[in-house]
Order: sequence, then structure tokens, then C-alpha cells
Amino acid sequence: MRPRVLVAMSGGVDSSVAAAIVREQGYDVVGVAMRLVPEPPGPIAKRRGTCCSHDDFEDARRVAEQMDFPFYVIDLRADFAARVVDNFVSEYLGGRTPNPCVMCNRQIKFDRLWSRARALAADYVATGHYARIEQGADGRFHLLRAADETKDQSYFLFTLGQDELARTLFPVGAMSKTEVRARARALGLVTADKPESQEICFVPDGDYASFVERQSDPAQLRPGSIVDSDGRRLAAHSGVHRFTVGQRRGLGVAGGQRLYVREIRADSGEVVAGRREELDSPGLIANRISLVDNSLASRRELSVEVKIRHRHRAIPAMMRFDSGRRAVIRFASGGPAVTPGQACVFYRGEEVLGGGYIERAITEEQAN
Amino acid sequence: MTIYLDHNAGAPVRVEAAAAVSRLLADMVGNPSSVHRSGQRSRRMLEVARAQVAAIVGAEPRRFVFTSGGTESNNLAIFGAITTAARRRKIISSQIEHSSILAPIAELERRGFDVVRVAPNADGRIDPGRVLAVLDSETALVTLGLANSEVGTIQDLAPLASMCGRAGALFHIDAAQAAGRIPVDVAALGCDLMTLSGHKLGAPAGVGALYVRDFARLAPIVFGGPHEGGMRAGTPNLLGAVSFGAAAEAAMNAMAAESARIGSLSASLFARIREAIPALRLNGPLVGRLPNTLNLTFPGVLGESMLIALDLEGVEVSMGSACAAGAVEPSHVLRAMGRSVADARSSLRISLGWNNTAQEIEAVAALIARVWRRVAAAEPLSEASAR
Repeated sequence: MRPRVLVAMSGGVDSSVAAAIVREQGYDVVGVAMRLVPEPPGPIAKRRGTCCSHDDFEDARRVAEQMDFPFYVIDLRADFAARVVDNFVSEYLGGRTPNPCVMCNRQIKFDRLWSRARALAADYVATGHYARIEQGADGRFHLLRAADETKDQSYFLFTLGQDELARTLFPVGAMSKTEVRARARALGLVTADKPESQEICFVPDGDYASFVERQSDPAQLRPGSIVDSDGRRLAAHSGVHRFTVGQRRGLGVAGGQRLYVREIRADSGEVVAGRREELDSPGLIANRISLVDNSLASRRELSVEVKIRHRHRAIPAMMRFDSGRRAVIRFASGGPAVTPGQACVFYRGEEVLGGGYIERAITEEQAN
Repeated sequence: MTIYLDHNAGAPVRVEAAAAVSRLLADMVGNPSSVHRSGQRSRRMLEVARAQVAAIVGAEPRRFVFTSGGTESNNLAIFGAITTAARRRKIISSQIEHSSILAPIAELERRGFDVVRVAPNADGRIDPGRVLAVLDSETALVTLGLANSEVGTIQDLAPLASMCGRAGALFHIDAAQAAGRIPVDVAALGCDLMTLSGHKLGAPAGVGALYVRDFARLAPIVFGGPHEGGMRAGTPNLLGAVSFGAAAEAAMNAMAAESARIGSLSASLFARIREAIPALRLNGPLVGRLPNTLNLTFPGVLGESMLIALDLEGVEVSMGSACAAGAVEPSHVLRAMGRSVADARSSLRISLGWNNTAQEIEAVAALIARVWRRVAAAEPLSEASAR
């Protein structure tokens, strides 16, 4: 019997080509599109272009027809709401800046979807992520950056451990986006020239603050003051969820020099504003650390490159394991603005060692 | 190997219907409305088909209007009835109807009609008394299904006809799932309008019929030429009608034997699955149900996963109704019967039909038990967090 692969198809070009590749490799392919967000109201024709839309599912379905494998739409809306959207909202309400794509990968694609895969007797899950998995001579699996640096999505995948990597396939991880599109065109896939989706899928208009407000009880919002580094009140604001560390716009502070959000104190409702140079910090504390290979946990200190936002470069740092899946990370030289809630991913060269979630920045004294 | 157990969605085309279609296709010429002899020949075939269709519900052929299917028949019955009902602004139906009734009455509700949707009991049965309780001189139409498509409950509708007549309301019965499977007699039911569907009894989809007792009390919804007694404009779908007629005749001739055979197959399927899964629950009544329909709640699993897993093993069943995107929504029928959303999400509809064999059912029973064990172990319902 050929091994069965459940391919998560979004209707985009990457997952379409991923499905086509595993099909050509001779796997028994089953395509699924995950219905994650409620269908926007209104007639079907008006819903074009939003993620998880009817059109995207139809595109995925057409690829499945072209490549001749079965395809199903599966309903994971309840799981997505409970595990991703609720977390997104509560993180913003707590003054942090979440990364829902990390949460979705961990909770939906490589957990919930994997249960479904086993229920459907599948041996692997494949996705259109740009990242690579390699197995070493010792049998251990390694998670590596994509061949195409500009498309690398390994940052979103740091929660994958050995068990997950053993049964996961990233068929386009070794290809460039140009190659993926060329392959899709050569196969005549309808998705070959579809544009990229950039926004967070459940907030298509990109207005996170309004989304958080719609999803919360007004009593949960934390209005308060914008203060300067010395605690002087500069202005009022309508909720800490409207801010992210490093943000410049929307501070509502007139005149003077350019100010940036330095810190968000959800408990008191204070948003601390400061000058650009006050943003930098020497390191951070990360929690809920997971490692691709748990054998690394026995090491007290690791020299790594750390990436603290998807679009940032990885910078050299030392990490020291603390108790309870926490770690202290010291940047080798002056670090960038640290945004609590974002993922902090540890690399060594091409390889993802693991990662965690940023709890807070640390001061010079704490770093030493 | 594919085992098809979704006859309530659409039966495989019967041999007799396929043969009639190929005979006709080989030499098909002439519009039944034309004066010339080819037209006359087509017209004759159309009328033979009409008689074959009428026979399955024991009615006069000239009272039948061919339509494009059950959905159009229901739309014609509902919108056609309210047009002639003048000032009457009330429509009575139930919560467990097919979408081709629920959507038209919801549209009429938006237009200001007073719509009453009677609730069923836990077995999916509509108490005629509940209908009578809301029936009054304002009522334009009572529209109810004879056999429920999802759970197979057969309604006792005969007591309603005379009361509707006395109240001056039209009485429409959707017999799409019943006709050809159980004896249906228009005269005994006493209804004014009755929907029939071709593909539920073995014709290809795309043809249906509406029985209209009194043409003066129904207005058309499609306008054009004077076809179908002025009730449904458009050149008749001769191919569809002929296939419908052939399938209806075949279903009629086979009904007694077929319903007994299918009834025992579905009973044995249920018994075997329950032997393997003791907490399995049958939705709908034990008696007074379509012989072919089993609606089952599988403990601890998502029906969606069972449905896909079974499909990958070659067994085709269904659940609820599919949304535009192809995902499955929990059944409104089960919800109306008082089942929780979680139970509705754990339920599958298995509907047998004319071409299922005892060997198939034996194989399916073992397979369903095996797939259930795998799905329940891999994806327990607590994790699936239905809400």
C-alpha cells in the first residue's frame, strides 16, 4: 500500500504545488481545505478574495480534480475560534502582540489536522510551507530554513518536535517561489498566478484593534494613559489592545519629538512612550520554550541566532535555560525593540533549534 | 469498489430509465407543442411519461405538471399558492422540511407573510394537532413533507386535508422522498398539491412533477408559452420526463418486493453496527419510517470524519447538508428533534436503495465498525470541541 498523505490546501499556489508534487511522487494523496473562519455574509459572488473563501476552496478543488485525488472541505471553525482567535484577542487585551500564524500551525495544522489525518488513516501531513525537513544519519529530524530566503516560513514552525517532523512533508521547501510558480504553470494549475495572501486571515481588513473590540466584552478593554519614561501623563487612550511595542503611529501625542511605544502595562492601563533609542534592550525572557530536538535541553547555555519577529533578521545571542520551560536570551550586541507576545525563534545557521514566546524585555542589569 | 448508500440524495439511475433515455436519444426530434407528426410523437411520449408518473401516487395524469425537479415543484406550489390566496397571509410548515420549502417560506416571511414552523417530536414526527391548532381563515397554505429526507420519519398527514379544505387553505405535500418507496395515494391523503422528484426514485436529476388538484387555485411562477396547462412555461424536458416515467414505472412495479428487501437490509445493517458500537443511536422512530433510511449518531466521533474516512474506503454516505463551500453543517432536522449540536455533528445518514445487495451491506457493517474505532481513537470528540 502506498503511504497516504493528507495535504492541507488553501487554494493558493504553494499548497497546490505541494499537493501536485506528492501526487507525482506516488503517494496516496487526500486533499483537504480547512474551513477556519465563518463565511462572510452576503452572496457568494461578493466574497472573493478573502481567505477561506468559496473561491479559494473551489481553486483547491480544481487542483485536486486536475491531479486526480480526492478533496474535502473540513470544518475546523470551532477549533480555530477556541484555540487561535480567542488567544489572539486575549493576548492583545493583555498588552501583548500575538502571532496567530504560529498558534494556528501549532494548534490547528500540526495538532488538530494531524488527529484528522490519523482518523483518515494518513501517514503524513503535507503543507505548502517554505521550510525543509532533513533526517540525519542518527535518525534525528532537523528543521531547516527554506531554500528561498525571501519566503522562509521556518519562524512559524518552531513548535514542531521530532514526532511531528517525522510525519510532515514540506514539498516546496526546497524550491524558490519562482520555481513553484513555474511548476504550477507547467502543470496548468489554476492557482499558478494567484497573488500572495499577506494579512491575518480572520482580520482581512487588517484592523486588529477593531476586531479585538468586536470580539470582547467592553469591560475587558483596558483604557488608560500614555505616559513618558518618567511616568508623566501625555494623553489618554481607549485600550492597551490598540498598541504594540515599537509602534509610532496612533500615540495621539502632539508636538515634541517622535515617540514610540516602549512598554505596555496592561494591569494599570499605562502605555509607556519613549524615544527611538529607549526601545532597544539587551535581551529578553521567553516562555513556553519548545525544542525541535529535546536533547538540547540538557545544555545550560547555547549560542544561537535569535529571530524575534518574522520580518527581522536573526541576530547572535546567548540563551540560558531557566526553570519551567523559560529561557533568558542576551543579544550579542545592541538588540532591537522586543515585543511581548511575539515568537522568539532560535536558529543555528540554517537550522531551527526551537523557540518560545516573548514574555518581556530585560534591562542591562538583568542581562548580566 | 464503491458502495453507494446515499439514495436519499439521489438514487443511481435505474436500468429501465437508462434504457428509455438511450432509446429516445437515438431518435429524438420534435417539440411536443409542434403541430407536425414529429411533434405529435413527442407529445405522445410526454403523455405516456405523465401517466407513468401519475400512477405511482394513484392520480389522474392530467393533474401533473412536469418541472425541473423537487425544488421547482416546491417553489411552484408555495409561490403559486400564495398568489391565488389573495388576502391570506399565513403559511404553516414545519422545522424539519427540505431547504426547497424552508427557503421559499423564509423569503415569504421577509415579504411580510406570517410563517409558522411547527416543531416535531423527538422522533421527527409532526403532530397534526399542532398544525390544526394554528390553522385559521388567514392561512393560505399548509406545506409539509410526507417522509423526512434525513431521518426517514413518515408523517400522518391524512387528517389534515379536510381541515385545510374547511379553512380554505391549500394543502401541499412534498412526497419527493416517499413516492416510489412506500405506497402514496393522493386521494387518500386528500392534498391539493404534491411534489414528486425524479432522481430520488431512479431517474437522472433535472426532472420532477407537481400534482395540482385544481389548476384554478395555482398561479404559474415561470411565464412564457402555454405549456403544461399554462402552469409551467418552457419547452418540456422530454428526455427528463421519459426517464422519470420509466423510473417511476419500474419503482412502482418493484415497490412491494423492494421495500421489504431494503427494509430488512437496513434493519440488519443497523443491528450489526450496533452490535459493534453499543452506544450507537438511531434517530427517528422505530416504526413509521422509510425502509431505506438510517440516521445514526456515532458516539465520540465527528460525522464529518466518519463520512470522509468511509468515502476513502469506498462507502458513500452523507450528513446534514453541504454549505456552498462544500463543508457540512449540522442537520437542522436533528436540531429540531432536540438533539444537541454535538450529537448532530456526530450523525450520519445512510440511505439504501434499489441496487444495494446483501453482500454490500455485510461488508459495510464490518467496515463502519472498523472505521469508527479508528476515528474514535485518533480524533476523540472532546478534542474536536464541537460547539
